[in-house]
Amino acid sequence: MRVVARRSPEGGDPVSRVRVVIVDDHSIFRSGLRSDLDAGIEVAGEAADVAGAVEAIVREQPDVVLLDVHLPGAADAGVEATGGEAVIRRAAPDAPSTRFLALSVSDAAEDVVRVIRAGARGYITKGSSGAEVSRAVVAVADGDAVFSPRLAGFVLDAFGAVVGETADTSDELDRLSAREQEVMRLIARGYAYKEVAAELFISAKTVETHVSAVLRKLQLSSRYELTAWATERRLL
Amino acid sequence: MSGTTAGLADHLGWSITGVRIVFVLLTFLWGSGLLLYAWLWAFTPWEDAGPDAPATPSRRVPVAWILTGLSIVGLSTTFGLVATRGAAGPSYATTPAWWGVSLATTALAVGAGVWATFVDRPDPARGPRHALAVRIAVTGVLGVVLVLQLSTLQQGGLVSFAGALVLIGGIALVYSSTFVDKWRELSGERVRRIREEQRSEMAAHLHDSVLQTLALIQNRAGASTEVARIARAQERELRAWLYDGDAPADSDLATDLRDYAAALELDYPVRIEVVSAGTSTERASGEVAAAAREAMLNAARHAGGEVSVYIEGATDAVDVYVRDRGPGFDLDAVPDDRLGVRESILARMRRIGGAATVRPGVGGAGVEVHLRYEDAS
Repeated sequence: MRVVARRSPEGGDPVSRVRVVIVDDHSIFRSGLRSDLDAGIEVAGEAADVAGAVEAIVREQPDVVLLDVHLPGAADAGVEATGGEAVIRRAAPDAPSTRFLALSVSDAAEDVVRVIRAGARGYITKGSSGAEVSRAVVAVADGDAVFSPRLAGFVLDAFGAVVGETADTSDELDRLSAREQEVMRLIARGYAYKEVAAELFISAKTVETHVSAVLRKLQLSSRYELTAWATERRLL
Repeated sequence: MSGTTAGLADHLGWSITGVRIVFVLLTFLWGSGLLLYAWLWAFTPWEDAGPDAPATPSRRVPVAWILTGLSIVGLSTTFGLVATRGAAGPSYATTPAWWGVSLATTALAVGAGVWATFVDRPDPARGPRHALAVRIAVTGVLGVVLVLQLSTLQQGGLVSFAGALVLIGGIALVYSSTFVDKWRELSGERVRRIREEQRSEMAAHLHDSVLQTLALIQNRAGASTEVARIARAQERELRAWLYDGDAPADSDLATDLRDYAAALELDYPVRIEVVSAGTSTERASGEVAAAAREAMLNAARHAGGEVSVYIEGATDAVDVYVRDRGPGFDLDAVPDDRLGVRESILARMRRIGGAATVRPGVGGAGVEVHLRYEDAS
């Protein structure tokens, strides 16, 4: 599901820049991130709270939203919802081609998993460098999932891979296939997708497919550990 | 007397005598002072006694048992009345003598129960067992009177019915202290919850301000600079304080390696990410931990930059991967006198029956050390 042509304000430019909206309640963080992002990424808008974010996303229809997990103004979206989750749930229906990348500073696994289950395509830590964030933005814009080593470790744990549970068929939602486990283990060990591909003698595209499949399971599975364990353990 | 006036005086900042005088004056206003006193006494939370507080005074006279005994005497008297009037049928229930005796019995029994549960409770010499015994005795007495009263319900009419209600009320009063206890417990629980809420509010605030700033400093200063290292160490400390309030002292392998990574980050220009999955039964003092620490030290010292540590603990085995992206090295080219890798990692793992492999990272960049230990049992 690679995006071939991205919307571009100039129109018709085949290698148009990735348009992002940054949602974070700290202006200092937004401006820092904006100046750190690669030249290939255009910041189309910024927002500091849930309502502003929904408005900016619907107006700008960006390729990617860099979304802080914790945001003010989520009170009306339900008692439990973190701000990031509320933004996805409210903005996604009106911005069908926009993808969300969660940013977090030190949140509980519970919060990160909630945002991913709401529809985010992955998450990165706020300590990541501008280059890392840029790479993640491009990957998400291309339809890939972004898994940090910690998220991979959590997934291995939550899907029972550590205790030897393996999916028999590829469409099983509550367990990982043997290949998906291998990919997750390598990501947990700090391998980049390219290195995972070289190690397993598969193409980088196949690695991305596996990662996307795992992300889908993470979003759709009803395994109770996903929420129960996430509550107990901290991801970051 | 039971400390209520003292507590109130302490709370209002008045003198004890002043408070007592107010209570006495209020008592003349249709007894409202007494009622207020009783109410305050029942619902004021116990003040936590300090370590040097005097021991709770112990009353030597078993008031509750004396009252119980008197009520049993009263009960016998009612039986006496029933016996003498027995020939004339159950009409005894309407005589004033019966009323007097049964009311006195009821009052004594209720008094005994209330005394035992309210007054004697803080007394260390008379525990909950004592209160329970008095309650059972008193309930027995009241129960018998109640049965007698009910058996004459048809003859006594409305008067007997009222008597029965009084008795039931008395039994309820004897057990009321349980509900008062519950109420006190609940209010204590609420105070604790409010404190917990305040703490998490503060955590949320620090999370939103200080942690964000520390993250920003790291990311602006560049990963391996001195400033970034200090900010990272601060962030780690703050996070540990915010979230891991009561971590167990007995640390497992993952916790130990995380702490070690934090220490290494202060000493070397390195960023170590420790990821763990599964439950690690391996103790931090074990040989696997020692070998893993050595591998991490090597990575920090010779490679620097980004180092990934992954620990996977299955039920019968533990795997540790330490991967760096440094220049790498050839194990065969390391001189024999360099003990680090050979002795501290490879030989150590061999000795405990595990395995260690050192290999170049994928694409020739860096080194990956893999430790594996399977539980023999």
